[in-house]
Amino acid sequence: MRYRNILLVILLILSFTGFSMKNNAETKRWVVSQNSSLSVNGSTNINTFSCVIPAYDKTDTITVKSKTDKSVMLSGSIDLSVNSFDCHNSGMTKQLQKTLNEKQFPVLHIRFLSLSSLPAMTRNPEPVTGLVDIEIAGVNKQLEINYQISQDEANVIHLLGSSDLNFTDFKLIPPRKLGGMIKTKDQLNVVFHLKMKTI
Amino acid sequence: MKKILITGLIAGCILFILSYGGLFLGIRFFPGLFVAYNNPLFNSDGSRDVLFYLHAFIISFALSWFWDRFKSMFKGSFIMRGLEFGFVYAMIALLPVMWISFSSLDITVVMVVSWFLYGLAQAIVAGLVFAKINP
Repeated sequence: MRYRNILLVILLILSFTGFSMKNNAETKRWVVSQNSSLSVNGSTNINTFSCVIPAYDKTDTITVKSKTDKSVMLSGSIDLSVNSFDCHNSGMTKQLQKTLNEKQFPVLHIRFLSLSSLPAMTRNPEPVTGLVDIEIAGVNKQLEINYQISQDEANVIHLLGSSDLNFTDFKLIPPRKLGGMIKTKDQLNVVFHLKMKTI
Repeated sequence: MKKILITGLIAGCILFILSYGGLFLGIRFFPGLFVAYNNPLFNSDGSRDVLFYLHAFIISFALSWFWDRFKSMFKGSFIMRGLEFGFVYAMIALLPVMWISFSSLDITVVMVVSWFLYGLAQAIVAGLVFAKINP
């Protein structure tokens, strides 16, 4: 009888703990829509360029797990075809694809790792930061991204992220032409706009 | 032979300064003309920079030999001889090369015309130098 009571208490504690854990870690899934885009902005000593992947051609899912300390764990990635970049100038487009070593590494990956918080979704963009792991030309680098997150009237979540990175971070050589008289600057600014729906 | 090498070297030094100085100023003041060079058609890793900067000497030695061989055919003042020499080089060597380059490579008309004028200017400068120091 005594052991039965102890067993009952243990079961009660376990079940309460189980419930409380379930309440603390809310999990959502966001489906990335095909209207999402990414742009890479850079400059040379003679011009600036903006290379865009205007429409993401896949449907990927990001799992969003809220933790008790307001931080958010993300899991999921988007895979972008280097061949899809358009720099609005065929020569520049080919040059970017060559610089990113498209033949050997045709896809670049962005893996979403975390968000500093998940604010209440409104039409007004809220700033959050987060970590992503970017893989370009076979080299990984973890970056902190500044996001603006919002939700529109059609319940589409807009995640607008931007970060500066360097060609050399990924062991890539910024192109130089005419004996170095035309030089591409090492720094690039990557901006992505993910449009997602909760499922 | 020594004369050819010396005049070639002198012309090479002058062309080096004028050509790359002119290119530097061209890129600085007319950057729009050079945007099309951001293309994988042009070497981008710096591995051929030495060859690129040697061009002034390659063309000078070649033209120096050509001048020494045919200088008797260019008549008049040294300016006229230099101009005619540059024009002959442009017609015989540059025009056909530019023609085949434009017809076979993905390059613009502006690029080809600028290369033609650049080569013509180089040959005229070299011709003036040759007419002066190896008449």
